[in-house]
Amino acid sequence: MNLKSKLIKPTGLASLVILLFLLPLFVKQPYYIHIFIVTMLYIIVVSSLRTIALSGQVSVGHAAFMGIGGYFSGVVAKELGLTPWLTIPLGGLAAMLIAVLIGYPFTRVRAIYFSMVSLFGGIVIVDIIRVAQKWTGAAGLAGIPPLSPINIPGLINITFLGQKVPYYYFTLALTLVCLLILYRVEHCRVGMTWKAIAQSHLVASSVGINEAWFRVLALAVGCFFAGIAGACYAHYNLVLAPTTFGFLPSIFLVMYMLVGGRDSFAGPIIGTAILLIVPELFRWLKEFAPLILGAIMVIVVFLMPQGIAGLFDQIKAKYGQVRNRKVPENAA
Amino acid sequence: MLLETNGLTKYFGGLAAVSHLDIYVNQGEIVGLIGPNGAGKTTAFNLITGVLRPTRGEIIFDGKEITGKKPHLIAKMGIGRTFQLASLFADFTVLENVVASFYLYPKSGFWEAMFNTSTYRKKEGYILNQAREILHLVGLDKVKDELAKNLPHGYQKVLGVARALAVKPRLLLLDEPIAGMTREEISFALGAFEKMRLQGMTILLVEHNMEIMSLCDRIIVLNFGHKIAEGLPGEVRQNEDVVQAYFGSEHAA
Repeated sequence: MNLKSKLIKPTGLASLVILLFLLPLFVKQPYYIHIFIVTMLYIIVVSSLRTIALSGQVSVGHAAFMGIGGYFSGVVAKELGLTPWLTIPLGGLAAMLIAVLIGYPFTRVRAIYFSMVSLFGGIVIVDIIRVAQKWTGAAGLAGIPPLSPINIPGLINITFLGQKVPYYYFTLALTLVCLLILYRVEHCRVGMTWKAIAQSHLVASSVGINEAWFRVLALAVGCFFAGIAGACYAHYNLVLAPTTFGFLPSIFLVMYMLVGGRDSFAGPIIGTAILLIVPELFRWLKEFAPLILGAIMVIVVFLMPQGIAGLFDQIKAKYGQVRNRKVPENAA
Repeated sequence: MLLETNGLTKYFGGLAAVSHLDIYVNQGEIVGLIGPNGAGKTTAFNLITGVLRPTRGEIIFDGKEITGKKPHLIAKMGIGRTFQLASLFADFTVLENVVASFYLYPKSGFWEAMFNTSTYRKKEGYILNQAREILHLVGLDKVKDELAKNLPHGYQKVLGVARALAVKPRLLLLDEPIAGMTREEISFALGAFEKMRLQGMTILLVEHNMEIMSLCDRIIVLNFGHKIAEGLPGEVRQNEDVVQAYFGSEHAA
């Protein structure tokens, strides 16, 4: 790898981040800013779903943990009058705690069986939210307080209520921090251990890796960030309905991940951005939206099994530059 | 005595896969567990390493009872093992396979790894060196950047052994280490095992390829879950029960 190709990635990333920071200068319509805010929150959720998938298990109830974060933070902020700056991390912790409590008994359940359990878990969580009407509201939770103003006299004074741009910058900063943490977890020993378990839990446990503990850890980390994103969504949208976190949204999360590419860190980012932003460009085709999504899904599954993020590797593999193909010198 | 089993028994339904098995392995010994297909060799391995829980009997390692303990705890006590098939992390490179297997020594904490502290980096550096040394010992250093799944079968098996060495085992269990190998691969693998023997490694291995006998100090023969013979490789080869188990009674007659 020469210096030039080494610089492409960081430069590209930096320009993308700068572009995102400058975006509100060009994009004035609140509706488009709204799309970007929601997309970024979902990027956090889908990336956290991929973190769980690193340990080999695909959760089909991940939206429910977003819901736990959202409802917990929303209800606590509303009923106890606490500032959302405090309740958002608490929402993340609540989602994490429930994930660990539900997840621990099921650490012996793998693959499709784990997915089934996560599916039922998600449905049960959303049903509990629905039933707890006393706190979560009969027709959805309304009256969630927005983010409290940041006011340092003489320096800054940011109010969030009714504003899109402050929320945009808050979400952008949060997304960058969350992605940075998730990236770091994946690329340290913890991530390596998850990937080892995903490849063979038998071999992993034969070298002393406690599979159950690491799988619970993956759930805890993944659901914490889903809860954080859900809580931010609550204090942005100010209204919550259980259906936002039900079965279908969970399926969509998996779909964003698969379309983007499960094997790559960029996968969830690319997949979510494309599947949430592209339909907005075709709003005049709104009634065909499910059809278009389905078509994208089918195309990806057939033509790009490693998702859009894997496309680059796929092209590289096809046109020569194959990595890891040296023939062992003393091969028999 | 490093490893000892007393009356080890495992039933699958009504079938006794392993029945009243008493075996022992001394420090520094290479013991072969042989027998025809279905004799219960792999089941015995899975019982010792905690993958399966015995129906009856006990397993004692280094004076401590380990019966029914979880696999990762048994690895922690110093028993490394390979598996018959796919004893590796297929999507990792050869080097990554061994590095990932260095989970116990030295162990890093979650936050330490998260924040990439200097102790963490030091530990990872140490692991990398150790992993390279192991690969050199077993003769895989030339292919260390190869993806494990792209290796020839024989090399994959040897990589399984390299991976097992990363737990710094005091006892190494090898499940069919040379099965399905070509002649060249067998001599390559035997060379690696010979080096390990010189380092004083204690090994219990399962094999039904009789070629492994030359490596063993002592042989235990199983058939239908029972121990039918035990002794030096030369003795076992002459044993009538063994010949009968392998070739049938007419041949012995």
